[in-house]
Amino acid sequence: MLLLVSLLLVLVSFVLIWTWGYGYYAKNDKTTKIVINAVPVDSASITNYIRDSLQQVYTTTLKDLDVQLDSTLIHTDSLRTELDLKLAEFYRLRNEIAVLLNKRFVNNNFSVAKQKITELQIKAADLKSKNDDVEKENRKLDEVLRQIKDPERTVDNNNKPANTAKISTEENANPVYQLFAVSDMRLSAIQVADDTETETSEAGKTVKFNGALSVVNFNSQVSNAEIAIIILKPDGKVLKNSGWDSGTFNTPDGKKIYSYKIVFDYAKGESKRLSFSVRSGTLPIGKYTMEIYHNGSLIGLTSKTLS
Amino acid sequence: MSYTFLNRFLLTALLILSVDFFLNAQSNIIQKYENSHVFAGIEVGSKGVKMSFIEIENRATEDATFRILRDTTINTDFISFTQPTYQATLVALNDLFEVAVKKNKIPAGNVFTAISSGVNIQAVKADKLVWIDQLINSFKTRNNEPERKVTVVDVKEEARLSHLGIVPESRRFNTFLIDIGSGNTKGGYFPYGNTRSFKLFELTWGTKSAANAAEKMMSDNNSLENFSSQIKRVLAGAEQDEIIYAVNASGAFPKSDNVAFSGGIAWAVATLIAPELNDNDVVAVTYDDVLAFSEKLFKTPGLYSDYYIVKSLPKNTPDLEKIEKEVMQVNKVFNQRSLLSGTGLLLKIMRQFDGVIERKKFYLVKNGTVGWISAFVTQNAGK
Repeated sequence: MLLLVSLLLVLVSFVLIWTWGYGYYAKNDKTTKIVINAVPVDSASITNYIRDSLQQVYTTTLKDLDVQLDSTLIHTDSLRTELDLKLAEFYRLRNEIAVLLNKRFVNNNFSVAKQKITELQIKAADLKSKNDDVEKENRKLDEVLRQIKDPERTVDNNNKPANTAKISTEENANPVYQLFAVSDMRLSAIQVADDTETETSEAGKTVKFNGALSVVNFNSQVSNAEIAIIILKPDGKVLKNSGWDSGTFNTPDGKKIYSYKIVFDYAKGESKRLSFSVRSGTLPIGKYTMEIYHNGSLIGLTSKTLS
Repeated sequence: MSYTFLNRFLLTALLILSVDFFLNAQSNIIQKYENSHVFAGIEVGSKGVKMSFIEIENRATEDATFRILRDTTINTDFISFTQPTYQATLVALNDLFEVAVKKNKIPAGNVFTAISSGVNIQAVKADKLVWIDQLINSFKTRNNEPERKVTVVDVKEEARLSHLGIVPESRRFNTFLIDIGSGNTKGGYFPYGNTRSFKLFELTWGTKSAANAAEKMMSDNNSLENFSSQIKRVLAGAEQDEIIYAVNASGAFPKSDNVAFSGGIAWAVATLIAPELNDNDVVAVTYDDVLAFSEKLFKTPGLYSDYYIVKSLPKNTPDLEKIEKEVMQVNKVFNQRSLLSGTGLLLKIMRQFDGVIERKKFYLVKNGTVGWISAFVTQNAGK
């Protein structure tokens, strides 16, 4: 009898435990269903969630790339054009994604944004790899420039005499030998009184700068040789005559604005005297620097101080 | 009917309010030269009424030294020849005259008024010449200026005045000036070493008309690639049928060392190619520069966004903010297709002057808008 009661109690216990267990399961199942049912009711929050997560991926990609981008823009070289194209594609994609993510409609389809972000990430990876190429290229160019700037050392390294009269074919191909050598540079501030031009050292009286220089090149015969002249004012800005005379040219340091450009035909070995004039407005007191460039390289520098 | 009336009323009211706002924003002009006089030129153009304050140094002759102190335009679209645009033009004309005479104390005799050739051509085409007469008469009556001369300028005179206003004296007789407009192209040069004889150059193609012709040929394919193909086709036809002949007939090649382009497209291309030269009125370019620009513009237009241009300039570039604004303005006025169209036309003309043996120097003029009116004022001030 006692055994029967005990068995009954165990059975009841099992029933109770099963009932409790079922109740617990049913409750959980209900909660899940509520969550699932909530989707159409509050799709905005889901949309926002997706957008926010996409925004996060997008922001991370951008952040990751921004540092690379800045250094890429600073270290420009022969790969610049290709890089420009990549960067432009990158900016276009970035803008498109920003527009897509900013659309806050409830039923907005983010698959396009997702696809574009993937594309952006590929472009970003591509840019990173391109940046590596740029840096490699820059290192190579730095090395070439170092050799150009220090030709004596290069000659010494090759165990050749310091003053080699005959220039080898290899040296001829070197850009340094294609540049003009400049000498006898003059920069004069000019005042005009009674239709007569005289030199002055006073900024207040100066109406124009006259400049002159001699160039020579024993290695090249050049038609349409171009010498760009920059006159820098004491504040570092370029002194410009008018838009008709000034313009821009490329240098290894990027684009520069010239004050005047002289174009001339040149016969090999000829010593050519060049002159120019740049009219000025009101000039401040200080040091005016004249920089002379040929083929984007600085070949001469002089200055004039006006009181 | 009532909706149309309301629409017109609102448009007129808006234009009048804009003019009033603009007038109140005017401040006094500051002269640069010691011995100078300030003049004003008011021009009724196709798109709006424009006023320029011009300072002329010492003497007032055709070749006098002058400086544009300020210029401003109120858009009124006169050539629509509707009552609201007529009213808006008249209001703008009266109010700009008042700004010059009353607010800036410029003697009425030093304020010159003119109607541009574009307005005159459109009025002839639309048989609306009477609207021009009515505008002039109303303006004279309203300002009690019965003797005032409001000149209607013809195409040749406008092109001649543009040359005088834009090209410096030192380059006067070796520069061919070509103004590429939206509907047509005009320009010319002085062939005989004096400013009386002017050789006119004209083309029936402009930035907008070329783009429109290309768009008409696109049928259902509205892609950029198709636009590019069609614009090339349109411009190749224009080159064969008109440009080559017009350039040869002008006889400009042997007499011009410089070829300068003005008009909206010249301003846009100059700003986008050389943004760092934002304070230059003129930018020197080569055929290859413009060709490279056109190719990049087609493949990667993002390179010419204000963001990218500013980002790619050195950080120490002066006036970065100003440059950004200017680039934004260009991109607001010209979209990719109109830039492609204008650049294509520019290249077709440049090509005629880019010989293998002899190449001309090319310049893009950015301040062409004030060209002819400034010369008109300078010329009349000397009389």
